[in-house]
Amino acid sequence: MSDEMNIDDYLAQGGRLTNPANVPSRYRGEIMKIMATFVDSELAAAAGFADVINAGPGIKERIAAARIVLEKTDNADKVLRLMGEFGANTDQYVNHHPWTDRLHRDTPAGTTRSAHDMRISVLNYPLDGWADAVVMNMLMGLAVGIQLSEFLRCSYQPFAEAIREVAPREQRHTELAIEGIEKLIAQGETEQINQSVAYWWPRVSESFGIGATSRSKALARMGLRTTSNADLHDQWSTKAGETLKGLGLMPPA
Amino acid sequence: MARFHQLSVTDVQKTIRDAVVVSLKPVNGGDFDFIQGQYLTFRQDFDGIEVRRSYSICSGKDDGILQVGIKKVDGGAFSTWANETLATGMVVEAMEPAGSFHTPITPTEGKNYLGFAGGSGITPVLSILRTVLGREADSTFTLVYANRGVNSIMFREELEDLKNRYMQRLTVIHILESDAQDIDLFTGRIDADKCKALFSNWIDIESIDTSFICGPEPMMLAIAAALRDHGLTDDRIKFELFASAQPGRLKRKASSADTGTQAKSTEATITMDGSARSFTMDKDQTILDAALENALDAPFACKAGVCSTCKCRVLEGEVEMIANHALEDYEVEQGYVLSCQSFPVSDRVVVDYDQ
Repeated sequence: MSDEMNIDDYLAQGGRLTNPANVPSRYRGEIMKIMATFVDSELAAAAGFADVINAGPGIKERIAAARIVLEKTDNADKVLRLMGEFGANTDQYVNHHPWTDRLHRDTPAGTTRSAHDMRISVLNYPLDGWADAVVMNMLMGLAVGIQLSEFLRCSYQPFAEAIREVAPREQRHTELAIEGIEKLIAQGETEQINQSVAYWWPRVSESFGIGATSRSKALARMGLRTTSNADLHDQWSTKAGETLKGLGLMPPA
Repeated sequence: MARFHQLSVTDVQKTIRDAVVVSLKPVNGGDFDFIQGQYLTFRQDFDGIEVRRSYSICSGKDDGILQVGIKKVDGGAFSTWANETLATGMVVEAMEPAGSFHTPITPTEGKNYLGFAGGSGITPVLSILRTVLGREADSTFTLVYANRGVNSIMFREELEDLKNRYMQRLTVIHILESDAQDIDLFTGRIDADKCKALFSNWIDIESIDTSFICGPEPMMLAIAAALRDHGLTDDRIKFELFASAQPGRLKRKASSADTGTQAKSTEATITMDGSARSFTMDKDQTILDAALENALDAPFACKAGVCSTCKCRVLEGEVEMIANHALEDYEVEQGYVLSCQSFPVSDRVVVDYDQ
C-alpha cells in the first residue's frame, strides 16, 4: 500500500473530501451545483411559504408556517456557508435572486428550471392558498426526505454533516403538513385537497429529473450520488401513495 | 466569502527535520477564535502566481495560542517556503479558521475518542486531543499514530508530556513503518489487517463514541472500512483529508482564437444597471474580474461556473467560456455566458448584465 493515491480512486472507493482545498475542480463544480440546488430550493421554498403564513386559518397553523419559513431559511444558511468556503459571496447570493418568483399557476408540469437559479423545478409553481400550501409541503417534504437520505452519504463530508442536522427538521415539516391535512379533512376540505394533490403530484414527480446515465455514473464515481433519479422517484411515489392512503385519500393514477 | 486577514508570525519552531510549527497572531482583525481541529487557508504569491494552501491548527483551545504545523512536501512551493524562509516577525495572510473536523465539547459527559493520524495528519488530531482532554474531565483519548520511523514523528515530545499529564486518559500507540518495536503489531503500516488486530486486542470499538481520522487517502479508507466493519456508524467517523491531494491551479485551455488577433487586450463595453461602461481589459482575465476591477458591481456568487449569479449576455464579439455547470444549452445559444468563466477572444466585446 502506497501513501500516494489518485483522488479519483480514493473517491471511487468511498473516500471523503473534507474542505475546498482538497477538492478537484470537476468535483468542485458538481458539489457546488448540488449545494446551490439545495440552498436555492430552501430559499425558494421559504419565500413561497412566507406568503402563506397569513393564509393559515388559525394561530397554530400560522406558527407552523412561520417555523417552516424560519427553519428552511436557516437550513439554506448552513449550506450556503459551505459554499462560502468555496469562495461564494454569501451576501450577494441571498439578495441576488427573486426567491418569490413563480411561473403562472397553469404552466404545465415540466422539469425546466427557472433561468435565474438552481431551485428544483417544483418550486417554480405558485401556491394557491392554505390547503394548497399544506398539500405541496407534504408531497414535496416526502420527496425532500428521500433526497436528503441520498445527501447523507455524500462524499463531501461538511455537506453530509450539514444535512445530518437539516434532515430531522425537514422531517418535522412534513409531519406538520400531514397533521395539517388531517385537520383540513376533518373540516370538510377533502375536495380542495384532492385538487391540490392532482396539481402537485406530477410537479413533484417531475422534480426528480431524468438524469443522463453518463452523468449519473460520473457523480457515482465521485461519491456524490448513490441512487438513480428513477429509483429515488419510485421510492417517493410509493411513500407518498402510502401516506395519502393513510389519510384516506387516493393517489393520482 | 474568501476574506484574507494579516497574521504576524510570532514564532517558528522546527519539530522534526522537515516540519515547522508556526505561531501566529492576528494583526488587523478577523475572528481567529478557532474550533479544535479546524484549519487555516493561507495565500502567498510565488513569482506572480498566487498559491493557496490549507494547514491544520495544532494548538488546543486552551493553549492561548494559534499554531499551525507545516510539513515540507516535495516540490510544494508553500510548504518549502514555510520551512526554509518563514521567520518570526514576518506577516502572512490567511482566511478565518474553517472546517468541520470536530464534535461539540461536552464538559459533563465522559466520552471515548479514538484518533488515527498518519504523519503530519497529527496536526488537527493534536488540537482535538488537547482540547477534549482539557475540557472534558471524564473523556479518554486513544491515539494511533503512524509514521515511517522515530525520527519522523511530529510532536513526539509534546505527546509524551500530554501522556504524563493525562496518564489515565490518554493512550498513544505509535505504529512505525521501518523501526522495529517491542510488539510486532506496532510495526508496519495501518491497513485493514492492522486495524483488525488492533480492534481485537487493543481497542474496544464498541466503547468508542467518535473516531477522528487524518492521514493519506489509502490509510483513511482502510481505517474507515475497518471501523464500519466493527459497527461504528458513519456519523461517528470524522475525516480530515490532508494536503497530499491538493490540486494545482487549473490551467486555462488555450483558445482557438479563430476570430480576434494576437492582441493581448480587448476593448470591452459592459452594461449594468442601465448604464454602459467601456475599458480595455486583458484577454487573460475573465469578464467578471474585469468588471469588478473597473468598479462595476457585477453580481457573482460561486465563481465556479455553477451558481449562474454572474450570468450575462454577449451582444458583440466572442468569448470563451471554459466551464459551465449552470446554463442550459438554449441559453448558451442565445449568447448567455457565465462571466466568471468567460475570457474574451475577439478584440472587442460588448456584454450586458441586465438582460
